[in-house]
Amino acid sequence: MPARRYLQLDVFACSAGAGNPLAVVFDAQDMDEAAMQRFANWTNLSETIFFLPPTTSAADYRIRIFTPAMELPFAGHPSVGAAWAALDAGLARDRDGRLVQECAAGLLPVRIARRDGISVPSVRSPRAQPRTVVAPDWLGAARIWGAPRGTLPPALWNNGPDWWLLELADEAAVRTLQPDLAAIAALPAGKLAVFAAADEGDAHLVVRAFAPGVGIAEDPATGSANASIATLLHQHGRLPGRDGRYLASQGRELGRDAQLELHIDVDGQAWVGGQVQAPLRGTLDW
Amino acid sequence: MALRPFVQVDVFADRPGAGNPLAVVLEADGLDDAAMQAIARWTRLPETTFVFAPTRPGASYAIRMFSPKREVPFAGHPSVGTAHVVLEAGLAKPRNGLLLQEGIAGLLPLQVDAGDGGQRIAIRTPRARLLESVDAGDLRVAGALRWLPPGTLPPALMDGGRRWWVAEAADESSLRQATPDWDAIAALAAATESMGVLAFARCHGSDYQISARALVGGPAIFEDAASGAANATLAAWLALRDALPGDGGRYRVSQGREVGYDARLDMQVDADGEVWSGGRVVSVVRGTIDWP
Repeated sequence: MPARRYLQLDVFACSAGAGNPLAVVFDAQDMDEAAMQRFANWTNLSETIFFLPPTTSAADYRIRIFTPAMELPFAGHPSVGAAWAALDAGLARDRDGRLVQECAAGLLPVRIARRDGISVPSVRSPRAQPRTVVAPDWLGAARIWGAPRGTLPPALWNNGPDWWLLELADEAAVRTLQPDLAAIAALPAGKLAVFAAADEGDAHLVVRAFAPGVGIAEDPATGSANASIATLLHQHGRLPGRDGRYLASQGRELGRDAQLELHIDVDGQAWVGGQVQAPLRGTLDW
Repeated sequence: MALRPFVQVDVFADRPGAGNPLAVVLEADGLDDAAMQAIARWTRLPETTFVFAPTRPGASYAIRMFSPKREVPFAGHPSVGTAHVVLEAGLAKPRNGLLLQEGIAGLLPLQVDAGDGGQRIAIRTPRARLLESVDAGDLRVAGALRWLPPGTLPPALMDGGRRWWVAEAADESSLRQATPDWDAIAALAAATESMGVLAFARCHGSDYQISARALVGGPAIFEDAASGAANATLAAWLALRDALPGDGGRYRVSQGREVGYDARLDMQVDADGEVWSGGRVVSVVRGTIDWP
């Protein structure tokens, strides 16, 4: 059995350990689905991706995405990591900053920005829309778990995953929030993302994402929730940053320091991206 | 940029994916506590170990082990897996079949046995003692074990550094099919400051003599794939009751099948009553880690 090339990346990270880890297996064409699932369970990471030859000439590369429990048609942080890894390994070369990723959900456009000699990928999120679910009274109160609320009303949004989105008054309210996880778990969808304008520093927005309904107390870097927040802010004419682009900070309360780059394009579509680190490089015998 | 050798292994496994994963960072001198903890959080594996040059006379190498949340003074599967990586890297050689691991728990010997079907490594585990054994009528324990059809030996609380309740099931199939009552196990673990329950059954006609399920009741609640230290407390309990299976104090354990794994542990109680916990190790990922 030949050893395969293997990486463990850190996605949405300006330094090792700041973001969300991702396992990357190259040369996976002779692994069957059961072997991929077993390996994704063994890495114990939120996602593991496998590179395969594309099935269409319209795609630059193809991946399959697995959690420890199942295959996913699409996910943000694995796609950002995949684009970076495809470039790093020489599997693909972007044309004018564009790549096309093939995954179970279909063909996905990817953009590559180049800054200081590094490639920063971003992927287009599925279009986010509010759901017609009325927020419980406690979620719309002036104070929530002691923290002052912002001006936007709480709402349930969907862009694949569902997230309740709740604006708080300021960065301190977000950073010091001590949420009642049982109350969040009891919400429809069981997931809540809170956000507020950042006081200072590189980021424009601070975000925290709680998903006790799916067994994750707090997530360190959440592409889907951030893309829905960007769309919500855009609809209210409240997009921070410049030219439809802003930087979100997430995960500091968990000892991380993720940075997500958000962009609303001229068609109103949300893109989410960020820097990728490759702390671990090696080969895999499986 | 500091590149260090990194190996991710599967411990207590005859093949990749059967056992308990472990990350090992070699040449760890220069990493401070915060960096080691950050790496262990980032690998997300049950344990990550860091290998240093030994400082004590006779030691083959020095080791520190971290879970994603904290430093661990001693655990069985990280010790066995790390010894395999150290041998594969040529950093140490066994003397008279033994390696000496230097760690927070002191100097601990490991047996290296070339053996049939691949090298086996076993760690001598800290001596476990019996804290209490209870009859089945004890309400506190009986309530926590109601989901498990009882076997011959009474449930017992053993302390081998960490505390485990060892509880015999009537037979292998009832052990494998049982649905643990997690609330009761968590309550028992909290009330007795123990890890939880190591349920076991005697087995016949397989390549193993004991099947075991390690049910961790807190702080995280999960079923462990392969538990070197917990099985060592069980071996000490079986020895105490003169109930060891197998020959010459040696027996094999099957664990983890109920959670998608298929681990094998080789246990031995030697003539001095010391318990050795070991098995095979498979290297799965070999590479370098770049952590500033």
